[in-house]
Amino acid sequence: MNDSGFDWLFLAEISLAGLGSGGLLALTGLAFVIIYKATRVVNLAIGEMLMMAAYVFFAFAAGAGLPIWAAIFGAVLASGALGALVERTMIRPMLGESPISTFMVTVGLASILVGIVELVWTADPRRLPEFMPTDPVLLGQAMVAPKVFYGFVVTALLIAAVLLVFRFWRGAVALRATASDQAAAYSMGIDVPRVFSLAWTAAAMIAAVAGIVVGAIGGISSTMGVFGLSVLVVVIVGGLDSVAGALLGGLLVGLVEAWAGAYLGGEYKMLATFSLLVLVLLLRPYGLFGTHEIERL
Amino acid sequence: MRIGAAKESYEADAALFDTRAQRGWLVVLAAALAAFPFVADEYWLYLACLIAINIASATGLNILTGYTGLVSLGQAAFMGLGAYTVAILETTLGTPFVLNLLAGGVVAALGGIVVGIPSLRVKGLYLAISTIAASVIAHFLFANLTLTGGTSGLSVPPARLFGVALDTSFRLYWLIVPVAALMLLAAANLFRTRIGRAFIAIRDRDISAEVLGIPLLRYKLMSFGLSSFYAGVAGGLWAYFFRVVTPESFPLIMSIFFLAAIIVGGMGTILGSILGAVFMTLVPELLKLVVGWLPLSTDMGLVLSPVRTIVFGALIVGFLIFEPHGLAEIWRRVRRYFHLWPFRT
Amino acid sequence: MSIQRRTLMSLAAAATATAFATGPAHAQGEDIVLGGSIPMTGVFAFAGIGINAGISDYVKIVNDAGGIKGRKLRYVPEDTGYKVDASVAAFKKITGANKVNLYYGDSTGFAKTQILMAGASFATEINNPQKYPYQFLVGPDYTEMVVILLKHIAATKPGAKVAFVYSDSEFGRDPIDESRAEAKKLGLTVATEIMTPPGSVDVSGEVIKLRRADPDFTIFHGYVLAPIPEFVTQMKKLGMKSQFMGTFWTMDNSMVMKMGEAAEGFMGVMPFRYHYETDAKAPMLDKIRQMRPEYQSNAYMQGFLTAMLMTEATKRTLDAGKPLNGKNLKAALNSIANFDTGGIIGTPITIKGNSIPVGRIYRADTKTQKMVPASDWITVGK
Repeated sequence: MNDSGFDWLFLAEISLAGLGSGGLLALTGLAFVIIYKATRVVNLAIGEMLMMAAYVFFAFAAGAGLPIWAAIFGAVLASGALGALVERTMIRPMLGESPISTFMVTVGLASILVGIVELVWTADPRRLPEFMPTDPVLLGQAMVAPKVFYGFVVTALLIAAVLLVFRFWRGAVALRATASDQAAAYSMGIDVPRVFSLAWTAAAMIAAVAGIVVGAIGGISSTMGVFGLSVLVVVIVGGLDSVAGALLGGLLVGLVEAWAGAYLGGEYKMLATFSLLVLVLLLRPYGLFGTHEIERL
Repeated sequence: MRIGAAKESYEADAALFDTRAQRGWLVVLAAALAAFPFVADEYWLYLACLIAINIASATGLNILTGYTGLVSLGQAAFMGLGAYTVAILETTLGTPFVLNLLAGGVVAALGGIVVGIPSLRVKGLYLAISTIAASVIAHFLFANLTLTGGTSGLSVPPARLFGVALDTSFRLYWLIVPVAALMLLAAANLFRTRIGRAFIAIRDRDISAEVLGIPLLRYKLMSFGLSSFYAGVAGGLWAYFFRVVTPESFPLIMSIFFLAAIIVGGMGTILGSILGAVFMTLVPELLKLVVGWLPLSTDMGLVLSPVRTIVFGALIVGFLIFEPHGLAEIWRRVRRYFHLWPFRT
Repeated sequence: MSIQRRTLMSLAAAATATAFATGPAHAQGEDIVLGGSIPMTGVFAFAGIGINAGISDYVKIVNDAGGIKGRKLRYVPEDTGYKVDASVAAFKKITGANKVNLYYGDSTGFAKTQILMAGASFATEINNPQKYPYQFLVGPDYTEMVVILLKHIAATKPGAKVAFVYSDSEFGRDPIDESRAEAKKLGLTVATEIMTPPGSVDVSGEVIKLRRADPDFTIFHGYVLAPIPEFVTQMKKLGMKSQFMGTFWTMDNSMVMKMGEAAEGFMGVMPFRYHYETDAKAPMLDKIRQMRPEYQSNAYMQGFLTAMLMTEATKRTLDAGKPLNGKNLKAALNSIANFDTGGIIGTPITIKGNSIPVGRIYRADTKTQKMVPASDWITVGK
């Protein structure tokens, strides 16, 4: 493998693959951060929401035979509806409870979603219908797997769109206001419960897109939710309430996973990711860009 | 109707079982537990042993999460540490099981202390997430060290008591249940001491506790260590019970199971650990019965596993929303009703 | 089938208890019980359902023909959802309620039990009559499977480069060490070994490594479906010349065809014929097709054959007038030589130790959507 010194091309290709999967992690991290920013809830079920959306897409595209665009659209909408439903029935009643309790509710939610998927579609792993071009993409001398490349493109476009919306749309301003000070937002006439629903719906829709891409790359199964664990690392590294942190954290974690897998071996991937987590927790517990939480007595 | 029991000394006030009625019921319980293995069949004995192991582990988690307020998703990893220690000692040295169990507890306690070190810098959810990291790292170690037998794991020879191999549920019952009972008693006693009260103070407001003179790091680490000791011993019992230890035996979902058990049972109460562990272990059995009763198609068995998963999640969500103090609170309410009867309040 | 395999040291514990229950032969006419811890739900559900159907069908055939020496064969399954503790619980339940002589479920810890056991795992470790005297594999063990593949490779392309792609699990890691050694013995080069973490989504990093290694043959093991199609599609698109092969659990026809276009040319080793094959006289296959006209998976075949072999062992034990315990049943099983399985396995089989080291290479033909034979029946020695 190492003929003339260090194999730079190999590193480049591995890094590109890592950035590709990092993009997906960043997208899911974005969904996570939106929920955290608006409702202060650590949503451990984000991986399972992603899975649910992928299965709904599967149901529309393969089961009902809808054209791919309609299936994507349908899955995103359905996921948004699910997000709103979850918020209304499980998160709203927990308003005012300790964050640990709400965290545990999302753990319970994750279990429920896995159970529903297994009930309706059984636990067999499946493949999604192909809808992405299949020829490898050439970047200079480096080859990138097509799904990873197009997935990254979709991810980048979506993140850019979300960032723009956040900047300019009134609803997004309301979201940011609610995130920084709930009481002040209330007194300014912002319908805070509405904002909560909005946050969960938007996050669920973003997770849906991520879910469809992840499903297209690796197939869907009832254990897809384990992707959420890697996303957890991403948001801790980036900062639980930082959008920029989710993006950078996602790319970083993607790279670390890819390098660990390539140079150390497949079994080291999770270890490397979580060692990074421990490192960040010890050195910069609030992440690269997170706001330092000041505890008030 | 019982309004209260008059106490005449500090010891009486702090006693665990303060009324004659309570002590009487305790004797009945002990007798029932002793008679159980002679009347129960193989399957119920198996369940009883499993429940006892779960009670021991849930109690440990309750010490850490219920009483000290440090949420941990690493209980399964610590059980794994204990189980592997017991397995390795039993297969390489053949030391007596009492020693092995204690060693398992100590190794797990050390692991717990290491995992607890970040607890000074991070709190709450961040700490919970670092325990997830501990789980992943532990799993990696179990699966990749030759000492632990890699992915195939280790087979554990049965525990031997005076030359008799404890290899049936009937025999193991006499090891597991007394050990679990002992651990319960120790935990209940813990919260009558300074250390226990310090834990509770840390849970309620740790900064205030520090102001009151409780050294936070020391007590938090103690809590981690103690809770992991419990997990380690429970893991050791698990190893003797299932006789095979593999990296897949202690997944993250098991930690979630124990956390769910103490939430459902009631965090911060010993009774909660018992009720929660019993309930969560028996729910799948109950489900099987219910699904068997329902007059639906014969292939309902296929639906059982996903329904079990849904019910598991629904229980967690339901209890958190509707009864955050868990089954122990329901129990207390029922008891209060009977104590106050015929009055209502 | 990693979990099933080490499922149950406690099966040993429990089973020693049943050793007391199982004592000498009981009154004539008593049912012979075949218990099963079957993963009918969970990730291996497709296998579990097939196995369950296979065993049930054969048990029906036996009972329709009057049972085993007049005694009814009773199959008592329990779903385990592919979880260790559920498997133990199922075993305890079934053996607590019945006198069990035959069991399908796997256990690595079966040292002293009195029950003849087979299961869904072909773990190499179980293929050790000293360590596991009462268990047997219904087919070759995973190492033997890979060796069959390697022998085929060595015969068709001597000195070829081989890559192993396996999952990071007990199931996946099982045959790798011994296979590496065998490959060397056969004069093949192991170009690279890739271990994928369970639940991995993106394999492009691994594909990049494979492209560097440029193997002639890539052997997959430890998977049911994912991530093989991803590997195959990406490698084909990159213009790599590698042929792709798999082991038993990847070889079910419906699973392979799920790969879509990527399935073309996928090869692997199967110890049993497929449901639809008509290349030779196969009375049992015909009977299966009669009972179940729709396609049945290779898991079904495995279950069916397990029940057949267990029945045969029981028959021989009863014929010899010996009591039905694990020792005698296993001895009877080992007396099976040149046994005709009715066409399920292409050659008459002899069970010398714990496995049946026979298999045939099949190749996927996407035009007919079938796996077709690509070699003769190969037997490996040990």
